[in-house]
Amino acid sequence: MQRLFIWVIMAFLAVSCNQSVKKEGVSPEAVQTEEIVSASIVELLASPADYQDKEVAVSGMVTHVCRHGGQKCFIVADDGETQIRIVPAGDIDEFDIALEGSTIAFKGVFRVLNTLETEVLEEDYESKEHHVVEQSHSGAEKAEYFVEAVDFKEVTP
Amino acid sequence: MNWRKWNRWIHRELGFLFFGMTIIYGISGIALNHSVARHWNPGIISHSSSIQYPETLQKADVDRSTIESILELTKEKENYKQYYFPDENHLMIYLKGGHIMVNMETGSIQLTKVRNRPVFRELNYLHYNKPKKLWTWFSDLYAFGLVLIAVSGLFLIKGKKGISGRGGVLTIIGILIPLALLIIYLWL
Repeated sequence: MQRLFIWVIMAFLAVSCNQSVKKEGVSPEAVQTEEIVSASIVELLASPADYQDKEVAVSGMVTHVCRHGGQKCFIVADDGETQIRIVPAGDIDEFDIALEGSTIAFKGVFRVLNTLETEVLEEDYESKEHHVVEQSHSGAEKAEYFVEAVDFKEVTP
Repeated sequence: MNWRKWNRWIHRELGFLFFGMTIIYGISGIALNHSVARHWNPGIISHSSSIQYPETLQKADVDRSTIESILELTKEKENYKQYYFPDENHLMIYLKGGHIMVNMETGSIQLTKVRNRPVFRELNYLHYNKPKKLWTWFSDLYAFGLVLIAVSGLFLIKGKKGISGRGGVLTIIGILIPLALLIIYLWL
């Protein structure tokens, strides 16, 4: 009986902890109803101030998915050169490596880092061993511009 | 029953209950440690092979027929997705389950096939708490249980081999090592 009591106490503590996490998980951002702006990658990067913190729809071929947990991917513009970094947000946990080579339409918020945040990003980038060799997406990887994607779908022709 | 018997009971029962969880977090922890330290993804297996294209290529001359001849050479025609030029000298052809990187200057082709690594992929899925929902609940319970297992473990044995003797010395060493490494790597 005493043993059963201990098990019940431990289960109660665990459930209590979990409930507090759930309450914290409710975000006012979830009810955001801002208009979505459709833009090309080149348009976004040409006038970032016009799109900063706005919900945008942007598409392009995925050139690379980060091998370390899929926490970023890169899409290339129609010019075949300009790339932008996409990071997962909302219900998206990670990007699957299978997205590489597919044309994907992303919906998310266009973010622009401030000077200090960009410096931190660059320092972090330089500290990574696998960043020794520059890749075609390296510029986009340490750029101050990126899209926090909350949704995406494949639109490969 | 005195407190030492309770202590042993908690340590033993939780040890049994969380054996599976400890294995899951232990193995995936090693894999994730090394994925951070090296350019290695424990979730996927990547295999590369080299083939030589019969001639060198110019970016301006690459068209669909060039792509098809490369796909035929690599026997990957049915897996083709899209292609693009990462730079002036390279052509990247994306495949379902991999890619082909062509060095246009030399004509060398590197075919890379990628697939999910069994077991590790699933363990990492759990370690990163991708399932959320009930898994969060159970892994929180495990974390709490692990603290209880650790604390109760300190008081399993009395005497020279216990916390007041050799056990205490080992416990202090086990605290000082991570503390010293933290000071060295974070603050010095």
